[in-house]
Order: sequence, then structure tokens, then C-alpha cells
Amino acid sequence: MKRRKFLSLGAVAAAASVLPASLSATDFRATAPKAWEAATSKEAIEALFGSAAISEGAIEIKAPKLAENGGAVPIGIKSNLELTTIALFQDANPRSAVAVFELGEGGVVDLQTKIKMRKTANVTVVAKGKDGKLYSVVQKVEVSIGGCGG
Amino acid sequence: MKIKAKLKKDVTEVKLLLSSPMIGKEEAATKKVAVSYLTHVTAKVGGKVVWEASTGPFLSKDPYFMFNFKGAKAGDEIVIDTIDDKGATDTDKAVIK
Repeated sequence: MKRRKFLSLGAVAAAASVLPASLSATDFRATAPKAWEAATSKEAIEALFGSAAISEGAIEIKAPKLAENGGAVPIGIKSNLELTTIALFQDANPRSAVAVFELGEGGVVDLQTKIKMRKTANVTVVAKGKDGKLYSVVQKVEVSIGGCGG
Repeated sequence: MKIKAKLKKDVTEVKLLLSSPMIGKEEAATKKVAVSYLTHVTAKVGGKVVWEASTGPFLSKDPYFMFNFKGAKAGDEIVIDTIDDKGATDTDKAVIK
């Protein structure tokens, strides 16, 4: 293991109050703290992935056209691409970043989670492939009752 | 937390329900409650990370996740570790059916 990598992993572990599991994992809250404070998806995406070119499409967001409960809007992410890092953003809350998923070697891009949305807004997924390229897709989700107290 | 892990052909589907209020600083200020949210969730099989998530307070209360991966077999054990903004950890495991 290279010394620099080892040291940065050590820093991550310390920041996470030394959870042994974090030694083998990437904690994007520690490696890209700015991304979690950004108000807009554009800023958050830049903080997390840099300003490299992003191709549109090739990923599917499964979300309701009209979400009745903004406190738990189901979001599904599917793709046939081989993706390693998948980040979820929205513009409905005070800050944009929701979660960053990382898949292991046998990872299948078929994920679901539930997010808060206090108003109608765009949901953006940006993902990094095994080929090192970035992919993204945007979908508007309408929310009838907001769910975030922010 | 609740973990369900089921093998369908060669793909393991995991459904995970965690327990956290997922309150960020904005919501804490409005509702006058303490900030409390999960920051990281890791899933491992046989010591290898199969899925992980860096998480923030805009996931819904008691976050739900579904994810899929290949390479495990029925009877393998999946271990979930979580950590919150205060550094408090939780762990649980389930057998893949």
C-alpha cells in the first residue's frame, strides 16, 4: 500500500471515530466535505466529481411522477453500465447531496432508497463507470406535500 | 435495523431498513431538536465490501435501501455497519436465503 493512500485512509478512520470498517471503505463525507454543504446540484456534483465531462443518459431514475408524501419519495436507480460510484442529488432541500453509493466487485446497478423533498424539483444521478467516465441523468419529481422541515 | 437478503439466481437482493431520525442542521433549527443522522452504511459478505453508502440528512427518516450484487451464495452472512454524525456505530447481520 502506498504511504499517501495509507495516511489518507488513516485520516478517514480518525474522522469517523475509528470504525474499523471504514478502513476498507470510502467515506465521501470525509473525502469531499464540500459536496455535502453545496446548495445546488451543480456545485455538489463539481465538489464530488470535479469538472470532467459527463455524458447524459444510460442510467434510469425510477421515481413517481407525483410524490404524495415528500417525507419519503422512493427513488430507484438502474443501469446496464458497470458503475462503481453512484451519487444522488436533488434541488428540493437546503443542500443538494443525498447519498453516494459505492458498489463492490459484483455490484449490480439496481438500487432503491427514499428521500425527503420539500417541493417539486429535479433529482440528479451522477455515476462513475469502471471505464472512468461520468454519466448522469436528471428527472423532475413533483411533490404535493413537502416533507423536509429544513 | 432490519435486513432481508434473498438470492435470486446469481444475484443477491438486499432490503435494508435502518433506524435514524435523519435530522440535518436546517431541520434541527426549525423543529428545535438535535441534529442526528447516519453518515455511512457498509454491507459486507465474507469480509468484502459489497455495497456502501455515504449518507446525509435528506434521506427519509429511518432510511430504506435496496441493493443487488453477485458473488454470494445462500447461507452466506451479510453484515451491515452504520455510523452516525456523533460517531455512534451499530451493526447487525442476516443470512442470505
